[in-house]
Amino acid sequence: MKKRTMRLIAALASAAMVASSFGIGAFAAEGDGSTPRNETLYFAGQQWGTINDWNPMSANSNNAMGIQQKDSTRTLIYETLFMYNLLDNELYPLLGTEWAWDDEATMASMTVKLNPDAHWSDGTPLTAADVVATFDYNVKCNSAYGVEMTSFITSMEAVDDATVKINSVVGDDGVAVNPLMIKQMLQKMYIMQKAYLEKVEERAGSPEDMKLDKMDDLVASGPYMPYYDDDQKVVFIRDENYWGQAESMWGSLPVPKYIAHTIYEGNSNAQVAFEAGEVDVAQVFMTDIQKLWEEKELPITTYIDEEPYNLASTIPTCFFNVEVPGLDRVEVRKAIAMATDFEQIRSSAMSNQSPSFKDYPRSMMNPSDPEQALFDHDALKDLQWEGGDIEGAKALLDEAGIVDTDGDGIREVDGQNLHFKAECPSGWTDWNASLEIVAAAGKEIGIEIETYFPEASVYTDDYTTGNFEITMSSPTGASITNPFYRCKQFLYGPFADLEINYSGNYGHYRNAEADEILDKLATETDEAKLKEYYTRLNEIYLTDVPSFGLMYRPDMFYEVNETVWTNYPMKDDGSNIPPTDCTDGYGIAALYQLELVEG
Amino acid sequence: MKNTLRNIFHSPKFVIGFIIFFGLLAFTLIYPFFVAADPLDMVGQGNFFKPGTYVSVQDTVDAKYYTLNIQAKSSNLGDHIEEKDKQDMRDWLLNYGEVSQEELDAADDNALVVLWLEHYDEKAKQKGLLASKKKAYVRLNKEIVKLASDADLIIAVENEDGELEESKSVDSKQYVNTKDIANQRKLVLGTDNFGRDVLTELVQATKVSLKIGLIAGTVATLIGLMLGLLSGYIGGLFDNIIIFITNLFTVIPSFVLLILITYSVGQNARGVTLIAAVIGLTSWTWTCRSVRSQVISLRNRDHVNLSKLSGHSMIRIVLTDILPYVASYVVMAFILQISSGILAEAQLSMLGLGPSTTSTATLGQMMNWATMYSAHLNGSWWAYFPVVLVITLIAFSLNLMNTGLDQVFNPQLRD
Repeated sequence: MKKRTMRLIAALASAAMVASSFGIGAFAAEGDGSTPRNETLYFAGQQWGTINDWNPMSANSNNAMGIQQKDSTRTLIYETLFMYNLLDNELYPLLGTEWAWDDEATMASMTVKLNPDAHWSDGTPLTAADVVATFDYNVKCNSAYGVEMTSFITSMEAVDDATVKINSVVGDDGVAVNPLMIKQMLQKMYIMQKAYLEKVEERAGSPEDMKLDKMDDLVASGPYMPYYDDDQKVVFIRDENYWGQAESMWGSLPVPKYIAHTIYEGNSNAQVAFEAGEVDVAQVFMTDIQKLWEEKELPITTYIDEEPYNLASTIPTCFFNVEVPGLDRVEVRKAIAMATDFEQIRSSAMSNQSPSFKDYPRSMMNPSDPEQALFDHDALKDLQWEGGDIEGAKALLDEAGIVDTDGDGIREVDGQNLHFKAECPSGWTDWNASLEIVAAAGKEIGIEIETYFPEASVYTDDYTTGNFEITMSSPTGASITNPFYRCKQFLYGPFADLEINYSGNYGHYRNAEADEILDKLATETDEAKLKEYYTRLNEIYLTDVPSFGLMYRPDMFYEVNETVWTNYPMKDDGSNIPPTDCTDGYGIAALYQLELVEG
Repeated sequence: MKNTLRNIFHSPKFVIGFIIFFGLLAFTLIYPFFVAADPLDMVGQGNFFKPGTYVSVQDTVDAKYYTLNIQAKSSNLGDHIEEKDKQDMRDWLLNYGEVSQEELDAADDNALVVLWLEHYDEKAKQKGLLASKKKAYVRLNKEIVKLASDADLIIAVENEDGELEESKSVDSKQYVNTKDIANQRKLVLGTDNFGRDVLTELVQATKVSLKIGLIAGTVATLIGLMLGLLSGYIGGLFDNIIIFITNLFTVIPSFVLLILITYSVGQNARGVTLIAAVIGLTSWTWTCRSVRSQVISLRNRDHVNLSKLSGHSMIRIVLTDILPYVASYVVMAFILQISSGILAEAQLSMLGLGPSTTSTATLGQMMNWATMYSAHLNGSWWAYFPVVLVITLIAFSLNLMNTGLDQVFNPQLRD
């Protein structure tokens, strides 16, 4: 008897060990979560760690594959009202069918119609009450986006089941203070189910604690649901009852049954897997990407067949802390910017995957036609600099009396050697190399620039608290609020007053005129006026050099391997689907047109 | 002494090691006389240009032309297109070019090209064709069109009105002599990710690494030797204290200590000398322990006791009666310390904790950047392989010298 008990215990123990050796994540489906290759679309370059929650209101979610609320929001699991398309700068219907200001002049309120076909993964209809609840809970639990939203939305009301009214925050003149941000919200706020939110509130105890909830039992409206995740990978499975197969939306289900993302150690590992055809869509910086098809002849391609291969939509920028002695002198800032060799950054640090400043002279605007049309190029001509201009930079410093008096090869301001620390996170290869090129330029003109590559969290702490001398940061890319919001990120004084500043103007630059123009720009719609304002802002930007762009860069890299899937959106294929990796904004439309490679 | 040296140089292992090591050293010293370029100068605009001689295109246009009766390679079209590409062309023509199988079967290479030029249209509906393949056809087409054209190349200059005026035309029989071209640059090992000349950089890096190795080795050996001699000879409480400290340093992984120290001093202070000194300061423990145990066995020998009785000072006894007996061991330890110092620097720089990239090139830095720009993935062997080779050669030659010395000094290993 005793022996038998022992045996039973041993058997149970070993069973438990076996069970625990299979990584049991939140969604432990069918053992190791493996899926048929020809039903799975594999990704790389989005998710770098084990997923920690499924909560869009969470303050510390690392769930990049599932939750990504940004310029183009990821709508695989949770959905937004509209989808943003960076190619034409338009909003496309998703949960919402149409939106309109109730009064174009004041933009004091907006009405959004919902798609009556929309329903949740549990089958219940998605109604205006859910939208309102989402907003209310975001505000109630102080989620990051909830706090942000209160600065431009006062409240939302359900007019009927399929109609939501959004009330803007208005100024003294009765005009909405920030209508662009409300438009942005349409494609940014993840709509969550009211009943589910109430359930979470109940189990969390207080609204504030809802942010800590893992939401493993989520209810969402998107085409995919979590299927499996552990420290090796994350897999989503298609919701066969997805509302979007209604004719009023997509008319079909997305083609791949599974979405999978292997968690790679780093870019190199991801690249090896990508070349081997184990990854279909990669969002990874690869050196000399053209070699993959020119020399290795792999079935790999990018959005554009020739340089710069990807669509550039952001401007990684060097921010100067203008409160630091030395950097408070515009000549010093400009000299560094003039001496930096941008062609070298473009060709070597970015491996030619960036348009040249020669083609798109520097400004705060993206190298896209609509943004470039927003300012007067001729007015800025005399303020431009080519880069790599060592002599010019030296002359500028000499003229300003910033010279080397003690003969150590370093120039001084007020007897202090010009020595600065330039900072960006370690392992961000192209950024690291760019800063090295800035440092090399500094060396040429007698300004000592030391590169400093700490962990990403240290870097974030440093730039958000103004504890840096020179830092690198990418302003927002292509979005519904830009270039307005980007200009704000470069110049807006009030950001400098924030104690913890994630918003922009990290270097605490102040210019009353710029602030005034930016305040006016928020509600301006007249095109001539817009052009005048933007031109003036760019003049200020190029004259005072509070920061300078190092390169144009894609917001996301988009490389596809056509070993298993094909018919990805490509430039000039007539599909108007943006290269947002088949997941973000209107880019998700790609999932409905993918085809298996024959044979 | 002379005899010892002769013995040493009779050891083949030592001699080979010696030749490799001093060969490397001599190369790094002589090279700058021939190539004066700044090793950190970013000459190439782009990543990893392949090894070879780069000549100025403008110079070849302006140079004197010689007419050579050599048939240019591109004159026979069929020979110049790869078999695989020909098959691809046939596939395309059959599937999308409305060309029949019979026509294709009858066509030889030149006829195929003619068919291709006639029928290929990059805007044609190519249903079911991969986007990557479609783009490959566009590139192939460009090549074929270029190959197929036998027209002279015309070089034109812009005149005052902004119009192009023919200045020269070049046919396929015209050659230039590379000696006539003033602007050329030999990049024996190509360029790295920043566009810097790898060979020039490598020479500087080797020099820096040797310097780091020598300083680190000297510091480590001096500290180890001194503490070892003293604690072994004096013994007692002093010995206990020293050995306590030594054990402490042995237990803490020295590389972790190294990382912490270099990280805390900040990049700007991290010059070559400081890095070397820090490496030396963290790696003296084994020398110390070994010297100490040898000294303990030596200190009761007769000749030492005799010196003591004669009233010689401690310093004199240690220097004249003990040091010579451990000298051979110390020299060998020193050689190994140099080699481990060089490796330690390479590891540190791989972590981005070496001297700054803009101040100097080091072997570890070169490896670090080559890895970051995945030179190993895209076939740019010249960016990392020579570096690995140099590190290996240095470590290998020093180890050879060490084993060679061991054979000479260690009676048990003597033939």
